[in-house]
Amino acid sequence: MSTMDPVALEILRNALTATAAEMDVTVWRTSRSTVVRELLDYSTAVFDRGGQNVAQAARIPQHLNSMGSGLLTVLRDHLPVEQWEDGDVIITNDPYCGGQHIPDILAFRPVFVDGVRVGIVGTLCHHLDMGGMAAGSYAAAATEVFQEGLRIPPLKLVRRGVLNEDILAMMRQNVRRPDMLWGDLQAQLASLAVGEANLRRLAMRTGTDTFVAACAQMLDGSERAMRAMIGRIPDGRYEFEDFLDDDGISPDPVRIHAAVEVRGEEITIDLSGCGKQAVGPINATLASAQSAISYSVMAVSDAEIPANAGCYRPIRTIAPEGLIVNARHPAPVANRVAVTHRLATTILGALHQAIPGRVPAAYYGVSYVCSFQTIGADGERGVLVEIEVGGSGAYADQDGLSAYTFGMHNNSNIPAEMIESEMPLTIVGYGLLPGSGGAGRHRGGLGLFREWRIDSPEAIFTANLERFTHRPYGLEGGEAGREGRLFIISNGERRALGSKVNNLRLKRGDIVRLETSGGGGYGSPAARPAEARARDAALGYA
Amino acid sequence: MEPFIRIGIDIGGTFTDLQILDERSGALRSLKTPTTPEDPSIGLLTGIGEAATRFGFSIADIRILLHGTTIATNAVLERKLARGVLLTTAGFEDVLEIGRHGRRDIYGLKPHQEPPLIARDRRLGLAERMRADGSIETALAAGAVDAVLPRLDALRAEAVAVCLLHAHVNPAHEQLVAERLHLLRPDLPVSISSEISPEIREYERSSTTVLNALLMPVVGNYLRRLTARMAEAGLTARLLLVQSNGGVCSPDVARRQPARLLLSGPSGGALATLRMAETLDRPNLLGVDMGGTSYDVCVVRDGAVTQMTQGEIDHLPVRLPMVEIRTIGSGGGSIAAVDEAGRLRVGPRSAGSRPGPVCYGRGGTEPAVTDADLALGRLDPRFFLGGAMALDRLAAAAAIAAKVGEPLGLGTEQAAEGILAVTDTGLAAAARLSLFEKGLDPRDFSLLSFGGAGGLHAVPVAEELGIREVVFPADASTFSAFGILHSDIVHDLARSRVMPLTADALPWVGQTMSALRVQGEALLAADGVSEADRRFAVSADLRYRGQAFELVVPWPEAPALDPLLADFHALHEARFSYANPEAPVELVALRMAVTGLLPPVHAERAAGRGADREPEARETWLAGAWRRIPVHQRERITGPVDGPALIEEEYTTIFLAEGWRCAPGPAGALIARKEAA
Repeated sequence: MSTMDPVALEILRNALTATAAEMDVTVWRTSRSTVVRELLDYSTAVFDRGGQNVAQAARIPQHLNSMGSGLLTVLRDHLPVEQWEDGDVIITNDPYCGGQHIPDILAFRPVFVDGVRVGIVGTLCHHLDMGGMAAGSYAAAATEVFQEGLRIPPLKLVRRGVLNEDILAMMRQNVRRPDMLWGDLQAQLASLAVGEANLRRLAMRTGTDTFVAACAQMLDGSERAMRAMIGRIPDGRYEFEDFLDDDGISPDPVRIHAAVEVRGEEITIDLSGCGKQAVGPINATLASAQSAISYSVMAVSDAEIPANAGCYRPIRTIAPEGLIVNARHPAPVANRVAVTHRLATTILGALHQAIPGRVPAAYYGVSYVCSFQTIGADGERGVLVEIEVGGSGAYADQDGLSAYTFGMHNNSNIPAEMIESEMPLTIVGYGLLPGSGGAGRHRGGLGLFREWRIDSPEAIFTANLERFTHRPYGLEGGEAGREGRLFIISNGERRALGSKVNNLRLKRGDIVRLETSGGGGYGSPAARPAEARARDAALGYA
Repeated sequence: MEPFIRIGIDIGGTFTDLQILDERSGALRSLKTPTTPEDPSIGLLTGIGEAATRFGFSIADIRILLHGTTIATNAVLERKLARGVLLTTAGFEDVLEIGRHGRRDIYGLKPHQEPPLIARDRRLGLAERMRADGSIETALAAGAVDAVLPRLDALRAEAVAVCLLHAHVNPAHEQLVAERLHLLRPDLPVSISSEISPEIREYERSSTTVLNALLMPVVGNYLRRLTARMAEAGLTARLLLVQSNGGVCSPDVARRQPARLLLSGPSGGALATLRMAETLDRPNLLGVDMGGTSYDVCVVRDGAVTQMTQGEIDHLPVRLPMVEIRTIGSGGGSIAAVDEAGRLRVGPRSAGSRPGPVCYGRGGTEPAVTDADLALGRLDPRFFLGGAMALDRLAAAAAIAAKVGEPLGLGTEQAAEGILAVTDTGLAAAARLSLFEKGLDPRDFSLLSFGGAGGLHAVPVAEELGIREVVFPADASTFSAFGILHSDIVHDLARSRVMPLTADALPWVGQTMSALRVQGEALLAADGVSEADRRFAVSADLRYRGQAFELVVPWPEAPALDPLLADFHALHEARFSYANPEAPVELVALRMAVTGLLPPVHAERAAGRGADREPEARETWLAGAWRRIPVHQRERITGPVDGPALIEEEYTTIFLAEGWRCAPGPAGALIARKEAA
């Protein structure tokens, strides 16, 4: 096989990234549900002929680094690549066959030129609802994956360009909003078609052999850069642990432990010390956990490395089955992001020992998902799902960022004016939480508060939170950020709630108040310069 | 004699560009003069003086001065803004700091978070609350403003922004605050959100109002200096300023609503693109402006410039209608480097104009795109900026060899060619995405190239996009000023209110349209626009219930609902590939674009002088070998020219690739077409 010169290679790399970006725009343009279009909960990527990720659109780290392992699982255990034909679209959402959690549907399409498979394009969308015991397929009380919704094993939704109507009918019958499911699925198909056409054009221009070789070169390039980066990390074994509060079923905390072993240009992440899989839905499959591992190692890089599967090669994972980071079927997995956030803070905490100065203290590390279902006098229902954030950890040389999306997820908030125009809810207040950032030479970023007042006769509230007892850690003597809190204020009385709330009935005038965690501090609080203290006092941050 | 000269001025970072129209004869001239960054009005007056001398008119002959300005933009980018205070609804003082979350660099552990323009101790809450329907939940207490006055004084506020929740629905509280402040502190500039950006979404509206308030003293001072200089020079022409929406406004509007000037600069280029689309009868035109540091893309589609209802400056949202422009940080000054992974990267770092590319000889050591153009013979070292600056070709080649060639194991020419190839494909990807996200196909477009660095890259970019026609307008380097010359007065008015779009909405629609019309008539009357020259265009921001973004739908037949709904479904289908005629539709805002037509422009451009000598030739590196190719002087071109060729003009050079032929077209443009293979 011929190799590609560096200029042509860079041009092709940019073209592949542009392909992922155009696929991304296509999903956005053609999707139907609010989850996809407004929360932007989807990702797109390009893979080489063997399923290795070669290019990504800049979206959500949680997705991007799990699509590749998902695809490889599908290829290894379910549908070998030799069985993929031109015009096929392979989908799955099964957490135990390469997926993450039931709402995420992965869809892949192979790209052929002159009968030769040159690559694969893929999309992942979080769908509004995939059935199961709770709307949104996000049941906080599930104890088995069977309760979480319809599972689709890896199968060909489209075979040689022909849609399998039977499968579609089966799917539509099992979800709460079949129109939205089909709308967003069509968006995925349209995106794959755009990606396929682009990739085919590129491969025809370079020639298939050169194209395939160039993909390999890109992976090798990122691998080399990644190895060089790891090589600059001092050898050693670095351990760290952090905790999840509970699984919503039992009150026990769950240990997340990582032993990070750096040997030369390779890194091994041993998760054997993590807690056993939970009864409640805070489990992660290995693919989800690996996504957090890849994110963490890529995030500490001191050089800009193109994100692709070559980056994963120097990383080895040890995670015995049956642990919370490699849950065994049929453990429920809806809130797997609780684990991946905590895995990220744990691995970063371990890496801090190796490369002090580069890693910030812990960020809030929770997707603060709160949902309100309002019930009008005439029975009319409205649904609001909010995802909030907290403070990020302080750095060796600066304070943490306040109320800023960080780590594994990447979401937007919803304007109070928009909520109040559409639903019988009033946002009573929304602001930074003074004092919530961990003290330190550099202070952790502040968490925030948000208060919702119920203006309908009745409402139902559900929350899936964390960091109520185990606070975001500080580094080098910095203090932990403040824990998160949740209150209900009813008839003038304030009552604290736990971090997991399942279908709490509220009435008109009740106020729910969320306080999110601040980030951890960095360095001893005593070393905080006087001017920084004065500034905190003047601005009301401390 | 009645004044008869109309001047369009575009003030850029390096040059102040003028286009001068003699309204009697239609004769059009252009001129460039250095920008005076410390006070741009100095360069402006110098340019006008030079033009008067060179083209033989007197200062008193100037009737209209249309002024594109980056004064507001630069003040924001450099954070040279007034010391402000924000008054907002108690409980929401931190909205400005929290923003909307969401980050762009997904892997970095240190994302950039811009500190808010008004710090936390300068954001004061007022005890008041409106509901979404405009009813009052908590009335603003009579003494509320008086009570915060000592704080305002203690904070030495130079400007005050007022943004209260739901003020776009009911501005009563904001108006009370403004009235009381005017009474108590008559000289303190105050901007209220219901006036500058009466649209739903508190963060975006706050951001816009804050930018506006902090710019009021900045733009006010500039206009004071400018009008003083004009008076001193005996210049009595009517002054109008270019806004981000492509229209112009009076100095009075600019002083009160300076945020409307934030994208003044690039909107001139979009206006010029629109004008060329009309002149050449090309309803689909992709305008690309390549300068030293940036590449701006605008789209004219079906004869109209695409607009948007919100833009941003330095990551700060500006919720005001503006011409849609995609900007990437790629230009003649973009630096080429080889990174650790052995990748050839071009940009996003830029050498800017200081030190500039290596060939400028001002201390630059890293090769830039212009160095590559020079090293391959596409630029003439003796004829850059009309010969104003000599370029050092050897230094450019040496830097390319050392910084790119050696690390990649390539010869100097191959390395330079690589830099250009990576650049051109990047430019093409940006242009392609601009079209793609609107569901458009580049092959349905012609490309219009302008800006100092545009000419050398336009044809390769077109090749990459599959575009078969490239237009090089006359005076490409002052092309934005040409667009400015053609602007009209535009006021964008809006009212926001979320409601189902049914017959029940019509009373509100009717009232609002009347109110906007009255406001628009008053504004145009104040601008001195006669009734015959006033135009009013209504549009509505619509969405399906449950969506969180809107489409702006023109509503010529307002208030007739059926045609509006039909147009909305059709537009939704075109933009998002589906429509749902059964789904309930929501109205989010009603807009009125109020236009005051200025006298129309009839410009004639003198034809080329014709060839009085043979074209020169130059050694140029093309596809792996040195070749001697003809170098034409643009003003002498009267007939077709075949590529490969270079075409030089005073401030820019055009590269015509093999397989392309160009010929003079209307309005002094050169039109290059790809010959059928």
